Amino acid sequence: MKRRNAAPVIAFFPEASFGAALNCIGIAQELTRMGAVPVFICHPGFTGVFADYGFKEYHLPGGGAQASAEDWQGFINTHMPHFNLDAAAQLEPYVAPTWEAIVDTAIHAEAGLSALLEQIRPDGIVLDNVIMFPAIARAGCAWVRIVSCAETELPDAHVPPYLSGLAADDPARAGFEKAYLRATRSAHRRYNEFRRLHGMAPLPAGVFLEPGDLTLLLSPEAVRYDRATPLPEDRFGYLNGCVRSESRFDLPRLPVEDGPLVYLGFGSLGAIDTDLITRMIDVFATLPARFVVNVGGYLDAYTHVPDNVYLGDWFPQPSVVEQSALFIHHGGNNSFCEALYHGVPSLVMPYCWDGHDNAQRAEATGTGVRIGRRDWTPDSLRRAILQLLGDAPMRARLAAISEKMQASPGTRRAAEAILRLL
Amino acid sequence: MAELRRNARQNHLTLAKQVISIALERGLQPGEHLPEQAFSEACGVSRTPMRAAFKILEENEILSWREEEGYFLETGPQDGLTEAAQLLEEMEDSLATRILSDRAARRISDVQSVSALVRRYGRSRSTVLNALKILARDGIVTQLPGRSWAFQPILDTPRSIEESLQFRLILEPQAITAPGFQLDAQKAGLLRAQMQAHLQTRQGRIGSASFMRIDTEFHGFIAECSGNRFARGALLAHHRLRRATQKDLSIPDFRLRQSLEEHLDILDSLEQLQFDVAADLMTLHLRRSRIRRPEAANRGIVPLTRGPLTRGPSA
Repeated sequence: MKRRNAAPVIAFFPEASFGAALNCIGIAQELTRMGAVPVFICHPGFTGVFADYGFKEYHLPGGGAQASAEDWQGFINTHMPHFNLDAAAQLEPYVAPTWEAIVDTAIHAEAGLSALLEQIRPDGIVLDNVIMFPAIARAGCAWVRIVSCAETELPDAHVPPYLSGLAADDPARAGFEKAYLRATRSAHRRYNEFRRLHGMAPLPAGVFLEPGDLTLLLSPEAVRYDRATPLPEDRFGYLNGCVRSESRFDLPRLPVEDGPLVYLGFGSLGAIDTDLITRMIDVFATLPARFVVNVGGYLDAYTHVPDNVYLGDWFPQPSVVEQSALFIHHGGNNSFCEALYHGVPSLVMPYCWDGHDNAQRAEATGTGVRIGRRDWTPDSLRRAILQLLGDAPMRARLAAISEKMQASPGTRRAAEAILRLL
Repeated sequence: MAELRRNARQNHLTLAKQVISIALERGLQPGEHLPEQAFSEACGVSRTPMRAAFKILEENEILSWREEEGYFLETGPQDGLTEAAQLLEEMEDSLATRILSDRAARRISDVQSVSALVRRYGRSRSTVLNALKILARDGIVTQLPGRSWAFQPILDTPRSIEESLQFRLILEPQAITAPGFQLDAQKAGLLRAQMQAHLQTRQGRIGSASFMRIDTEFHGFIAECSGNRFARGALLAHHRLRRATQKDLSIPDFRLRQSLEEHLDILDSLEQLQFDVAADLMTLHLRRSRIRRPEAANRGIVPLTRGPLTRGPSA
């Protein structure tokens, strides 16, 4: 395909989540170093985020009135109890309406996205999402799909079912797959109808996004699955994480100056559960370690913070993880990859979506431990933290993984593969 | 005299330092007696605050107290009395900093009794009171009726940081265009050199704390040069508050560098006496400095069809 611009312009379109946005920033930083011009198509809630990393932004029209505090509260009231359910039990109350919302998003974004792509005239598009947008297929340039949630997004007999949190050979597998198809049937039917209207072929049941001209999976070697049907190398590539360059985090002086550093970050959704984080902080106060806790926009919900705990609404995560001895997270792939990249053990407390899959994988590969959101007691949490802090064999394993990942950063590999495609 | 006494009582630390000055002036030697009455008269205060000041000096081993005899000098001019005074001040400042940083980190609530602070920090009542008075000078705490002290709003939430930025957008450009702006060329040169040194560091190596320091120094410097005394006072106090409480900025490296370049552009314009341009650049700089955080999350939290989020519910 002929290039439109002297220096290739790559339009990134990450979904509206921290993980996807930040992965894309890592790849875009590398593309800039290689002489390309990455730009970002962003959702209204992300205005300015990419500009602060030096990238030009194009904004999808928001449409409608802005969501209010009541919308947030409504979401919290509706879904908070669902986060305490296991993956199978979440299918009907959480996964099904979420897919409906994602389909709504795709339908709503289509016209605006199409207009922006005509304006940008990119040489390539990078889509980091879980659903396809017909405007991308029509844009007249190559497109790259980034699988940044979990490798389970691409089904295979040796890979566990997407969003299940199961092992590949778990006897519950068939039952989960059937329930998943049932839960997503209505959204999927609507989505296929939307595709048909835009001249695109329907997708098989349960699938909302086809492979791109190139598909890159954010799946470090250490946690990768041995697939029954290997992915064709000419159209698929694996990335050893996509850790972006960030500013340095200087840990403020805490009244307690000793002890290993533990970082807790539950992502954009997880920060909502201030009760859970408060109970965890009470446990942290009893441990001989220092804790940095990302509480998102909910600082006001916390009082009487212990002397060994530091709260913030946002941290340059890669830099904090690099300095930590343990990372407590929700199983977001971005967080999991950053932990592996810096050789830090993971204590995974998943609440939804790919968190279940990554928690299972961390435990299966000996790179972390899974703990249920509703299952822990102060004693069991304390024990889990101390066990991970003292697990020398795990640390040694992680050090080897980190060395390998840092020697072959996914950001560079992705940028090279993208430029080769154009 | 009553007013003088009240002021003196409010700052035992100042009084303690005054005692040291007198001791130095009079060439007092270790072991010499410091009569309460004589020092009270010399400082123009009653004996009660003088005892409080002596107590601070005793706690810092500058004086000693003997039963029924009173206070005696322990540290003489040759033993580092001047340095002791300096240390005393830093120590008081350091307790004030600790209190403030604990408040900013939400370790202590926004209303505090002196007794609670005495218990928490293991320091004497007078030391804690002095630390509170240091904070009160900057308007960070105010004394409530009774024995409690209340913290004023600090820059510890996204909302307060946004309010701070809006406040600065109103005042900082005005501080430049107000008649009488006088650039201190020597200090401008020093700041320029510091910022250029930061810009020369490797990517990702500018720390958030050092950026914050240089940022508040730069903006404080602009305020100091202003010809409008009220703008100057308000901005200096605000930048002190920023420096003390807004520490954990996590700004991408690109924006940190862009921000330093913008400071240098503002200095260029000021040196060329282009005050209007400098004020416009300041407005641009502050608008760009609005801290951006992703304000939406996918996976069903708010479908795009319902529009973006402006802030979480707490903000």
